[in-house]
Order: sequence, then structure tokens, then C-alpha cells
Amino acid sequence: MPMNRYADMEDKLRILEDLNMMYIRQIALSLQDSDIQKKIDHEIRMRDGACKLLAACSQRDQALEASKSLLTCNIRIMAYMSELQRMKEAQVMQRVALRSSDAGPTDDRLPCKGKVAISDLRIPLMWKDTEYFKNKGELHRCAVFCLLQVGAEIHDTDMVIVDRTLTDICFDNTIVFEASPGFELRVELYSCCSEEDYSAGSTHRKLASKLSSSLGRSAGKKLRVAMDPGACSPISNGGGATLLLPLPSVGPKYHLLAHTTLSLSHVQDSFRTHDLSISGNEECSHWVPLYGNVCCRLAAQPHCMTQQMISGCLKVKQFGGDPQSWTNVYGVLKGTNLFCYHRQEDIEANVEPAFTISINKKTRIRASEKDLHSKAQSICISNHYGGEEVTHTLSADSREDTHRWMEAFWQQFYDMSQWKQCCDDLMKIELPSPRKPTLVTSKQGSLYHEMVIDTSDDISTVTDILARRMQELELRSQLGTSPPWMSLFEESPGCPRTHNRLPHSPLRCPRPGLLSSEASLTSDSYSPCSTSPCSRHSGWAEPLSSPSSHFRPRTLSLDAKLSTLRGRGYGGVLQCSCQPPSSSSLAPIPAQRIPQATLSCSSSTSSNSSSEGSHSPELSNGTSFSRPSSARRSLRNLRAKLDPRNWLQSQV
Amino acid sequence: MSFIPGQPVTAVVQRIEIRKLQHGEHLILGFSIGGGIDQDPGQNPFSEDKSDKGIYVTRVTPGGPAEVAGLMMGDKVMQVNGWDMTMVTHDQARKRLTKKDEDIVRLLVTRKSLEQAVRHSMM
Repeated sequence: MPMNRYADMEDKLRILEDLNMMYIRQIALSLQDSDIQKKIDHEIRMRDGACKLLAACSQRDQALEASKSLLTCNIRIMAYMSELQRMKEAQVMQRVALRSSDAGPTDDRLPCKGKVAISDLRIPLMWKDTEYFKNKGELHRCAVFCLLQVGAEIHDTDMVIVDRTLTDICFDNTIVFEASPGFELRVELYSCCSEEDYSAGSTHRKLASKLSSSLGRSAGKKLRVAMDPGACSPISNGGGATLLLPLPSVGPKYHLLAHTTLSLSHVQDSFRTHDLSISGNEECSHWVPLYGNVCCRLAAQPHCMTQQMISGCLKVKQFGGDPQSWTNVYGVLKGTNLFCYHRQEDIEANVEPAFTISINKKTRIRASEKDLHSKAQSICISNHYGGEEVTHTLSADSREDTHRWMEAFWQQFYDMSQWKQCCDDLMKIELPSPRKPTLVTSKQGSLYHEMVIDTSDDISTVTDILARRMQELELRSQLGTSPPWMSLFEESPGCPRTHNRLPHSPLRCPRPGLLSSEASLTSDSYSPCSTSPCSRHSGWAEPLSSPSSHFRPRTLSLDAKLSTLRGRGYGGVLQCSCQPPSSSSLAPIPAQRIPQATLSCSSSTSSNSSSEGSHSPELSNGTSFSRPSSARRSLRNLRAKLDPRNWLQSQV
Repeated sequence: MSFIPGQPVTAVVQRIEIRKLQHGEHLILGFSIGGGIDQDPGQNPFSEDKSDKGIYVTRVTPGGPAEVAGLMMGDKVMQVNGWDMTMVTHDQARKRLTKKDEDIVRLLVTRKSLEQAVRHSMM
């Protein structure tokens, strides 16, 4: 049976995977490079986690994120593997070289490394007008992200969902690499179709064609392509990777959409546009119409510009001056300057250097062999300032020091010749700031801090305050007599209840209108808001038979509620007003009740949204007002529901 | 009851079967829930870990079907009729509990006392 064979294949693939992991680990061990070994182990663990998450998650966003991390882990593992291979080769070559002893000490000067930062990636899109005007169906969305690779360092950007309302794909991340001037920064754009319907390509052929023919033209085309395994290069992330580290068959799959390679010549202190090579075509499910360019800011800070290359005591004399006028300075070579301080301590004290000699591409440095006044060699540095040539003569304490300084100067020149335009001026690199947590409950100084609600005894203070507020506002006067249909929503005798609770005050009249708005919002399922008020109330004015609070509930909502009361006035208090009158008839309400009561009335402090805000839909999602129209009310309901500061409760 | 992203969640659960009660023209279960991935977890008075966005039972109607079945306030609902409730929005949770054509819901709930009981029994 084909299903069995498929399962067998899965097992075999898994075994292969495990073997591959072992192989990778062995190579890392044999090289005794613990650094890469640790990295590989870490990536393997991340990969396992991502596989599990992919298999377990049900939401599309989670699946996309998991698939993205899986792909990144795979590519990272491959990169580390190739790095390991290279190192192993180098090791072998070295051993061979030592044995042959032909290769003398090569005086290869290595340029200094530097920080390369790429930021503000922006990829313009080119949607066809048919997408906008004729395609009235649902938005075709794709999830995209970028992978940036320099050597074995691979970074990924955040994932962005792209649909036809976007004109550019923007990635806000700033990514910093450590690289040598011959670096090659490979930028790859991966995309994945974000629709729910297209499952993996194990659908029966006939069914597939039937489905695709019965759906619309564009949707059907995409479906057919998605189900046809051969279509858009299945080897999406490099041929080797899928053999060594197979991707799971379920879940969204990313495909390479475009790539480009940037190097030192593209480095500039401002934004530049580069060309993209696009793979894939319109027929692919993961297609996003790219304009063909990518804009970004690629900056580089070579270490010779940011770090002190050499420092030490020197004696400096200006050419043409008095042969005896040597100045003792503490020199620091950094960037394109040799800073000469009077004393070493001045550097920490941030005192300005005595003078500065510039060392740039136009500087000429030579060692003068014979110096009449000292036995040691001295170094002459010539610059052109303006039209004239200024020469400084440096002399170090000993021959070795002079040699060290000369070496440093040569290295500096070499670095500058390698890093080219990056050494003209220091380019700014902004380090990405740590992410702030998304939900931050702000505790403003407020009534909450003034009030202390410790035991249930103190609830009376709260209810007192609420009662007072209620009286301040002209509730009663505004609410007229209850309309006759209010009786429908009066507590019916059939409800199982222990106490006869809430007063049948006219305060309840606004509710019916809100039920309609609620119904309009939740039409697909049974909405608890349409429950009769009696069950609501039975929950609502719930006593006190429940155990008294052994916790202290957050009364942030109380705070919000009171501030809205202050700000606006009547609405919210309506529900709470039910509480105070009844409190006298009931045993002291445990602390937990009040927050729920107030929950019903609290809301975001925006002037528009009403107290309907944060409360339980049982309080008819949107209590109170008779005034606002149902459309506005449903808008407020939505706003309240979406307000992250709320903690909704629903009765079921 | 905290979780590590990417790792499976394990908990000691109790199976609670609630038969919905006909109340007027609606079927009710007799409890209230709070929480959800779209809600602010810091305001959950029942959760140990204030970043837990799970669905918690905030109130149980006395004498109602939920109380009779053994549901307690503060319980965290892990599953409803096989549907996961650890990573759902508040509205999704509510919908899963209030399906019109189901008159019985089987919940898997967890609470701290369960874990403690298991730990004690193992010692």
C-alpha cells in the first residue's frame, strides 16, 4: 500500500537525518574546535525544537515562524559544515606545508577586520493593476524574510507578511557582521505563500484537478502549482541542504525568491540601490512581484578606524624647527590620526591632544637612517596641509620601539588600502536596541495607589466611592422610565438563584439595544451576550458563597474605571451602580467581585470608547448607554475587545 | 504552569464532563472564563506565571452544571472536547465552549493542587 511505503520513507529519512547529525558532530569533534562544535550543537537543538513546534502548532503564524527558524537553522548548519570542511582542509594543507618545508615564511600581511552593518532593507514591489482592480477575492498574502550571510555568519530578519496593499517590503532590522575587507554579503529573500488552503502535495491527482478547476482561475492555478511537486524547484534552499537535512513534509515551505551579493565596493555611508537576481516566476505559489531592486544602507567600520592600533611614548620634532626642540608626547594611532597627548592620563581625562598628525592615504612616512643627534632611527611623516608640506619627525626610545611604530604605520596603510572608501571618514553604525516587551501594563499614579484594598472589609470603601460617584453624575435623571419591553429582560422566576439580587432599577434599560450590536458582531456562534440577563445576573451578582479571595486581584481595571468615570461620567457607572445598592442587602462582597464589577465598566481611557470596553460580554458587552447608536456601540465593542489592557471574561 | 516556547507542555489534568443546562432558549455551562492569547496576562488573578495566556475559570455559578461536575474557580482549561485551549484567543475559547450542537463538554483542567497531590503520592 502506498501509505506504508510513505511511512517507511519517513522512517528512512529520519534515520538518515540522525546519521547526518552524527557525522556533523564527529567532524566538529575531530577538529577539536569547540567553538563551531558548540554552535552546531546549538543549531541542531534549535532545529529539533522548530520541527516539533511545526508539527504541533495549529496557527498559521506560528507555523510560518517555525518554518522560518527551521530553514535558518538548516542553512546555518550547512554553513558551519562548510566552515569545518574548510578548516579541516587548511589544517591538512598546513601539515603538508610543514612537512615539505618548501613554503618559507610568507610575509602575508592581513588586513584588519571591521564591522559591516546592513540596515534599512527595502525591496520595492510592482503589483499589476489586475491585482487591484479585478481581483476582488481575498488578499493573496505571502510571508517573506531575508537571510544575510557573510562567511559562516548567518542572520535572518523578521518575517513580514506581504499583500497587495504594500508597495515595499521593509525590514527594520540592523544586522552587524564582523568581516574582513574582502567580504561577500549574500542577501537572500525567501517567501512562502500564506494561504490556509494549500496543504502539502500529497493530494490525489484527480481531486487536485477537480478542486483546481472548480475554484477560480487564479486560485486554481496556484492550487495546482502547490500540489504539483515538481513545479517550482523543490530544492529551495540549496540542493545539498535538503538531502542532508530534510524539511518536514507538513507545514509551510519557504522558497528562494531573489538574491544578490554585496561587497566592499557597495559600501557607502548612505542608501544605495542594488540589483536583485530573481528566481521563480509568476506561476509559483510563493511569487511576489518584485521590482528587481533592493535598497539598503551598507556601512563598514574597519577596526583601524575605531580602535587604537598602537600607543606609546614618543619624541616629536617639527621639521625645520630647532633641532633640540623635541617634545615628549604620548602618541595614540587611531583611525586617520596620530594623536599626541602631553601625558598618558590625558586620554582618560578627555583632554584634547597637544597636537594631531594626520595619517591618511596621502601621508608619506619614511624612516631616516642617520640622525645626527641620536643613534636610534627616527620616522619622518610628511603631510600636505593646504599647499605646503609639513613634516614631523618622531623618535622612539629604542630601536625595537621604532620598529614597532613603523610596523604599525605600514599595517595602517595596508588596512586603508584594503578598506578603501571606508577609511575616509568614520561611518556611523547604529546598534539595534533591545526589544521592549509588547504588553507593558502602565501603572500610572492614580486612585489605585491611594486606595488600599486588603481585606474584604474594605470593599465598602470602594463601593462608597462608587456610590458617591454615581450620585455626582446625573444618572437617575437621565434615565427615564423603563420601556415596557424591559420586562422581558427582568429576572425571570425560573432562574435558579439563591438570593433575589439586583434591584430592578431602570438602570438596566439600555441593555437591549446593545444586544443587537452584540449579535451583529458574533453572528456565527452562540453568543453568551444574548443570554437572558437572568443568567447573566446570576453570574454577575454572584456571591459570596465562593471562598473569599486568597489572592489580591489586580485592580488596574478599577483604576481605569475610575479615571473614565472622572472623565466621562455616566455610562460606566451604570453597571457598578447595581452593586452598591445591593451591597447593603448582601453579605460583604469578596474582593474578587469588585474587580469584575469594575471590569465591566472600565475601559481604555480614550475619549471615544465607552465603558463597554473591558468588561465581560456577559454584561452585554457594551453595557449601558441608551444614547449611542448601535453602529458606534459595535465599534466601541470591537475597540474594547481589542484593547490589550483589558482582560475579558466571558460567561459560558 | 509556565511553559517554554518550543517545548511540549506537560501538566497533571483532571477530566471534567459538564452537561449543558437548558436555560430558556440557551445552553449554559455555568462558569466564566478569562484569558487568551489576545488578552493581557498580567491581569489574571489566578495564574501563577503572570505571562501565562491560557484560559482560566474565573467564576463558577453555584449549583450550576460546572460546579456539579467539579470545576473550580482558578482552574486552567487545557482542552475542550479535544480542542486545545492553551494557545487560543479569548473569543475562540468562548466559541469552543458554546457550540450550539454540543450538549456535553469534556474539559481537561489543571490546577496546582493536582500537581501537589501527585507529587505527594509519589513521595
